[in-house]
Amino acid sequence: MATNPATYSPSQSLERRQQQQRRKIFLQADWTRTDGRSFHQCRPAFMRTGASNAASGSAYAEFGGTKVIVSVFGPRESKKAMMYSDTGRLNCNVSYTTFSTPTRGQGSDHKEYSSMLHKALEGAIILETFPKTTVDVFALVLESGGSDLPVIISCASLALADAGIMMYDLVSSVSVSCFGNNLVIDPTAEEEACQDGSLMIACMPARYEVTQLTLTGEWSTAKINEAMELCLDACLKLANIMRSCLKEIAS
Amino acid sequence: MVGLSTGEKHFIHGGIAQDLRSDGRKRLHFRPISVETGVIPQANGSARVRLGATDVIVSIKAELGKPNSFQPDKGKVAIFIDCSPTAAPEFEGRGGEELSSELSVALERCFLGGKTGTGAGIDLSSLIVVEGKVCWDLYIDGLVISSDGNLLDALAAAIKVALSNTGIPKVNVDLGASPDDQPEVDVSDEEFLQFDTSGVPVVVTLTKVGRHYIVDATLEEESQMSSAVSVSVNRHGHICGLTKRGGAGLDPSVILDMISVAKHVSQNLISVLDSEIAAAEANADE
Amino acid sequence: MESSEGTGGLSGEIEVEAYRRLFPLPFYERHLLESVRPDARPLNRARDTTIALGPVASADGSALVKIGDTTMLAAIKLEVMTPSTDAPDEGSLAIEFQMPPICSPSVRPGRPAEVASVISKQLSDVMMSSEMINLKELSLISGKAAWMAYLDIYCLSADGCLFDAALLSAIAAFSHLQIPLVSVNDDGRVIAVFGELPEAKLKLELVNKEKRKLSLGSKPFSLTCILHEEYILADPNAEEESIMDTFVTVVLDSLGQLVSIYKPGGAALANMSTIKACIALTKSRVKELNNILSESLSEMEVD
Repeated sequence: MATNPATYSPSQSLERRQQQQRRKIFLQADWTRTDGRSFHQCRPAFMRTGASNAASGSAYAEFGGTKVIVSVFGPRESKKAMMYSDTGRLNCNVSYTTFSTPTRGQGSDHKEYSSMLHKALEGAIILETFPKTTVDVFALVLESGGSDLPVIISCASLALADAGIMMYDLVSSVSVSCFGNNLVIDPTAEEEACQDGSLMIACMPARYEVTQLTLTGEWSTAKINEAMELCLDACLKLANIMRSCLKEIAS
Repeated sequence: MVGLSTGEKHFIHGGIAQDLRSDGRKRLHFRPISVETGVIPQANGSARVRLGATDVIVSIKAELGKPNSFQPDKGKVAIFIDCSPTAAPEFEGRGGEELSSELSVALERCFLGGKTGTGAGIDLSSLIVVEGKVCWDLYIDGLVISSDGNLLDALAAAIKVALSNTGIPKVNVDLGASPDDQPEVDVSDEEFLQFDTSGVPVVVTLTKVGRHYIVDATLEEESQMSSAVSVSVNRHGHICGLTKRGGAGLDPSVILDMISVAKHVSQNLISVLDSEIAAAEANADE
Repeated sequence: MESSEGTGGLSGEIEVEAYRRLFPLPFYERHLLESVRPDARPLNRARDTTIALGPVASADGSALVKIGDTTMLAAIKLEVMTPSTDAPDEGSLAIEFQMPPICSPSVRPGRPAEVASVISKQLSDVMMSSEMINLKELSLISGKAAWMAYLDIYCLSADGCLFDAALLSAIAAFSHLQIPLVSVNDDGRVIAVFGELPEAKLKLELVNKEKRKLSLGSKPFSLTCILHEEYILADPNAEEESIMDTFVTVVLDSLGQLVSIYKPGGAALANMSTIKACIALTKSRVKELNNILSESLSEMEVD
């Protein structure tokens, strides 16, 4: 709102100082994570389907401080301007609430994550089963506590399953951060802000296929090997949690 | 959009399977690369790279700015790519936006490293003038003039060449009396510092068609891909960034195999680019 | 569903679900004759309502409210501003109501729902006019610094009566709000103080001595009713809202005083006795909501 006077959050300067301190800690070979996890331990995952009744399918995921709701609408009529297509379309949108980050944000759409979510999911969905129509996957990040994109992807695939969209397999996703020689799985927002590099994998565990892989920072091949193994293993475990969550609903 | 008949599709698939592609290349051969430097006189650095029929221009502008408070010892770099409607009719209006932002994000991932800036291909700490106060902001703008596949590799190569062509003006700093004052800077318009490009990576995109993967795919070949992996590799053979495109899943072992192939191919590409840069500079000096 | 079989043309021959979709209004009217609604509520009963306080850890105050399937998440973030010269010792309030695409099939990304901005405005009006919040309590240093309370309400699931749920979540979030400890640094900026910082405590005087809550005045609560012929349906869901189009929203404060009454057109005209009936319904609803809110507040204090 243009009429509002300029405001600032009183905790800004404190955060800046904390982040600088944290970076020093992360440079050491050995440190303990703020939430007491070991380097190769994920946050406890809580997932539930049926978060919203208005949607054809929905899911809520809470991984530590990261809270995400995904709703799936459709298959429904494509927009008028769309050309005829004999396969279905997938439309993804990721947005953040204004209170998702420690300092109040704009709460806008996240274009980059929207397209990454699309890429991670499209390989898993059998688009041939709903020609001429569109499936909309909308994600809202209620609180951003780190590893947001992997949580969104896993939650979205659960919501798709809840909506009864045909898929080859569930998609589960996990990321690792790299600090010097250490690999830290499922990083929190503070850890992500100081990381040297990161690797994120989205995969279909039952088919053992990677649908999306991104990597930033400088890596040696051996390190990539190690990180991928770590991620794939965690993806497998996460997929089991997701599967049991679906079974619970069905029974 | 590429319209291909069933016969043409078979021809492309069959050629790739037999290691002889439609234009006579093998699976891991690049198209001829031609490089021109200094194509835009008013920019600090610029380059035009042609890879077969793919044609891109990159210009680099350096401006003085203020460093980010979280990283007081580093300069800032912004990469923006524009797909011109001259390249393809579907880039008209907002049509090229999605591709543009996808390319920009992929290039940022390849060149700018992790959030702390470590492992960045472009050495961000060399852009600092006065710590916490003044730094150089590099604006890297890429323009796609003609598109015949493999835009990402061509743009990355053009950025690498443009950076080697970039001269950053020498700055004389007059520190103010108290540390709180904004220092006065005097930008020289005669002396330029050469940018260190030894760590700048190249990008190699491996496109999977059928059971094989190829480098430097043309637009026709790209239309037949199931997925593609773009790997950015620096001179030391370290991976600096990786992006996967295309929806189909890949077996993890295939990805690792692709990474090692990309590493191998990239070293050839780097030496080709180095000799092209040297030749282009020799031309410019004449 | 008892009303499907019977006389009257088509209704006897087709299935209940099909009849409900093809002839929604006759379907409802059959129910109304029996003084019951398809979800088994009597006409004047609101849906089950729950309030959970403090779901958003990073906010200064937050609440999750469910009325039936309508879900609202409200969070307040406090930031520091320079107060205006007209009111140097008053803070300020900015309320925004958002309908993200997840809440309803009719909202698409990039195109905010029209109703969202209408509800934003209504909420601001009610909050300001009810005088529940004393803006002077949001002052830090007169003329220099004051709190700006950003209240953002996200509709997570839209199933009718959005305004009622949004208002309830706003009230609940303010009841949960805790003003953090702050002090002023050398540059005159207000900074947060966490826990025990001995050196900082010596150097800087705390502007806000202890974590405190706002002393809220009488809280406004609302109830929306649908008017259809001579019937009054309290707290309609989305289906009922789409079939019958005359609404009356009454806002009363906890003392029973009328804050606002809102009837945006519609086919049915309301006479005095109908309005009185709506107010009476709202009165009993206010008691109910007040109890639910104080229950969840006392539960939180026990924790």
